Amino acid sequence: MAWIGAMLIVAIEAWLAYAHLSMGVLVGSFLVLAIIETVVALRYFMNLKYEPPALFWTLIPGLVFALLMLNHVWPDAIRVSALRFP
Amino acid sequence: MAVTMEATPFGMPSRKFAMWLFIIADAATFAAILFAYGYARLASPNWTRPFQFWPTIANGLVMTVVLLTSSLTMVGASTAARDGKQPLALRWLGATVVLGLVFTALHVSEWVTMFGEGWSTATNPLGGSTLVGGTFFIITGLSLLHVIAGVVALIVIAGGYRRGRWDASYIETTGLYWHFVDVVWMFVFPLVYLLNAK
Repeated sequence: MAWIGAMLIVAIEAWLAYAHLSMGVLVGSFLVLAIIETVVALRYFMNLKYEPPALFWTLIPGLVFALLMLNHVWPDAIRVSALRFP
Repeated sequence: MAVTMEATPFGMPSRKFAMWLFIIADAATFAAILFAYGYARLASPNWTRPFQFWPTIANGLVMTVVLLTSSLTMVGASTAARDGKQPLALRWLGATVVLGLVFTALHVSEWVTMFGEGWSTATNPLGGSTLVGGTFFIITGLSLLHVIAGVVALIVIAGGYRRGRWDASYIETTGLYWHFVDVVWMFVFPLVYLLNAK
């Protein structure tokens, strides 16, 4: 069932790619669909739902925090790359 | 003399917990290069979209189906091993290895075609930003490296399991890695292939 759901999501992604959407909507849609696939894989393929909840709370919030910090730092890298010595 | 063993974290084998830690660290690595790709793309006004539906996107779709199916066969291997059905587990592992090799062959053939068209990490035959090839080959290359490492790990684990050296928990732990490789591709395919479709 999880495999069929993942296939369905891939088909939706391929359809969206040719649906003439704006880049922002397309990126947002792809990220939401990829995150749904990740949750399905974590729960049903990697059996995270059968592991102690403490494992989830130890690993995943820390990862999400690290990713948010990455997203905070990268735009500054673009600003720094545009700086020039006087 | 009695030896007191400390309980393993979260009541799971240490190797499995170590695999979870590796997966989290590797997820951060892939996220970093995907973020870098996103911002490099935003900062490049002359970004080109090189991929036509045929053959590149169609090839990517087949690769996605192959990798997703390999996750299913990996679940079959883990379940059979846990139930003590060694021959069945080995057959599922064999199917997973074959699918991993098919994915690798499709990936390499795509790269060879692109190299033939003049693409590289530093050249863009369409005349736009050279970051198109640079980001594509680095991201897909790292993903491909993970698939190849997974295939090698599966072969080694299958050999040890067949000889009775390792038990079902080793297959489950290797399966975690294989599913993670699948999850990575779920981000790489839409963000690197579909977003660059003509």
